[in-house]
Amino acid sequence: MTVPYLGRSVRIVGPVVNVDMNQSPHPKNQRGELGKALFNWYHNSVSKDPLTRVSAPNHFADRRNFIATVINQATTGKVNAKKVPVTDAAAMTRHIKAVARYMGADVVAIARAHPTFMYAGSRYVQDGTAEDAYEESTPEGLVRKFPYIIVATTAWDYDKLQAHRHFIGDAAYHVSQIKGHMILKALEGYIKELGYTALRGVVTPQAAAVASGVGELGRNGLIINKTYGARIHMPDPILTDLPLVSDEPVDIGVEDFCKICRKCAVNCPTNSITFGDKVAFNGVEKYKINWLTCYKLRPYVHDEWTSCLTCATVCPFTKPNTWWRSLAVWALHTCPIPARPLLVRALKAIDDRFWGVVSQKRVRWLDYDTGIKPGERACTVAGCTAAHEADGQSAKVVGDIGYYVPLKENTNRFVKRDG
Amino acid sequence: MAFRQGHDDDPYWKFFINTPPVDPANSVTELIRSAPEGNIFPTKAELHTPEITSGHVKEMARYLGADLVGVARLDAKDEQFPFAVVCAQRADYDPRTSPGVGGQVPVQNGLFTTFVLSAWIRELGFRATATANARAEQLAAAAGLGTLDAGGRLVTREFGTRVHVADVILTDLPLAPDG
Repeated sequence: MTVPYLGRSVRIVGPVVNVDMNQSPHPKNQRGELGKALFNWYHNSVSKDPLTRVSAPNHFADRRNFIATVINQATTGKVNAKKVPVTDAAAMTRHIKAVARYMGADVVAIARAHPTFMYAGSRYVQDGTAEDAYEESTPEGLVRKFPYIIVATTAWDYDKLQAHRHFIGDAAYHVSQIKGHMILKALEGYIKELGYTALRGVVTPQAAAVASGVGELGRNGLIINKTYGARIHMPDPILTDLPLVSDEPVDIGVEDFCKICRKCAVNCPTNSITFGDKVAFNGVEKYKINWLTCYKLRPYVHDEWTSCLTCATVCPFTKPNTWWRSLAVWALHTCPIPARPLLVRALKAIDDRFWGVVSQKRVRWLDYDTGIKPGERACTVAGCTAAHEADGQSAKVVGDIGYYVPLKENTNRFVKRDG
Repeated sequence: MAFRQGHDDDPYWKFFINTPPVDPANSVTELIRSAPEGNIFPTKAELHTPEITSGHVKEMARYLGADLVGVARLDAKDEQFPFAVVCAQRADYDPRTSPGVGGQVPVQNGLFTTFVLSAWIRELGFRATATANARAEQLAAAAGLGTLDAGGRLVTREFGTRVHVADVILTDLPLAPDG
């Protein structure tokens, strides 16, 4: 089979061994292979934040209050025996995209399936189950039978994301994530009702995302989208035999930007993002993050937040969806490649000037407030006259600075920075 | 937001809106409806005044996707659940006459909102139960979402009758009723 073109950010340069999801971070941790602290965090801890307990995909008081468990552990429906005939694949493609958007997806695209995109071994759905009749199929066999991948996803709320490394940022991430779980489950069910097969837990989302043009792969290891930047989820895509027309990889200048910017590497609290060049890993040329140091931070910050999101927040592509953002992406897209470094330097300077080299914006939402220092308590809700017994002496919040733990200088001590 | 019609050139749109699923397991609405209710968190969260708590509940409901939300006071006799939180979704097609996966999208979105919102209230340490309620439209009117027409249907300022009232959340969270 020919090597698929994945855009300028990722290149297949050698033989690719299909990734076994059972060797990825969460399953490794579930089995206790990442040490006691992480194992305990995954299985035995309960978040002190009520919203995290209903929206985040692991440690809770009661999983029945978590909608993703309900959705991911449900038995999958049967394929309708009465097929809806598809004579025009382009019309069906427009339809399925309209359906995904109607259900609430922010981004939807179609990739042509390729054996290198498939997971090896059994199906994997986080905190759920996925089984189908094709588990014994080889990646090549799967692709022959099911040639298309539907990537549908939701974006995180920009304003709340500014409070990354805080429960407010978690809300932006987790609420759109559980919403995405529901949309994909509904879309999967709808494809089966059309009379076609829809498989889950089979495809590497990142590969499908670059192949379908959802975005390009950044230095931070995240898919960077032309409308939302890095603030989109990469949920489990749908592999299907529904006749569709696939989309192409895009060039929005991520390749040129990441070469120069390094803002995510500077801000990463665990120094898990490389300052260096791309490497060939498992036959794929890309920026390689250190997932282990990234993952290991979690138990230590469990009282303050769940999902770090720093690299996604500080990425200059992650901006509200406004005209000036579209203009900047359009300029990058249309600029001839040799001239792009100049444009990137200019855009990076603007980004540093207006959003700060290190992001420290104070964000308030409901009764959350990032202006309150970690470990302190205060009620900053305007007009509240209720007696809060636990509010101590520290109920003073001044200025516009938000506090996000851990501070970078605290982690520089124990995580070594690479070259 | 304008009503999204513009699907005339889509040959499959009618199927999406009107053809009911053959296997109910392919429908997310069935799935969420049949899910068991979770526990109430053993420690009650510290609350602000009822007016502010109401504001927070409504903001959370809107963040989860509700188009309209209000709080109604229930009969004084019912001490277990003094308040009802009512959410409503804009519905381009009436879910009562559009049994397709697409026709049920407002129901699906409503279930998502009420499931997560009621779970959140339980995690705050208070009673909350989201159930399909025969009096949903009356409660929606009582919660200030709109008024009832002669046929007993909810008419809202924002969407007219093109609105679906989601499951009603009964709760003992101290709230300030609307309307």
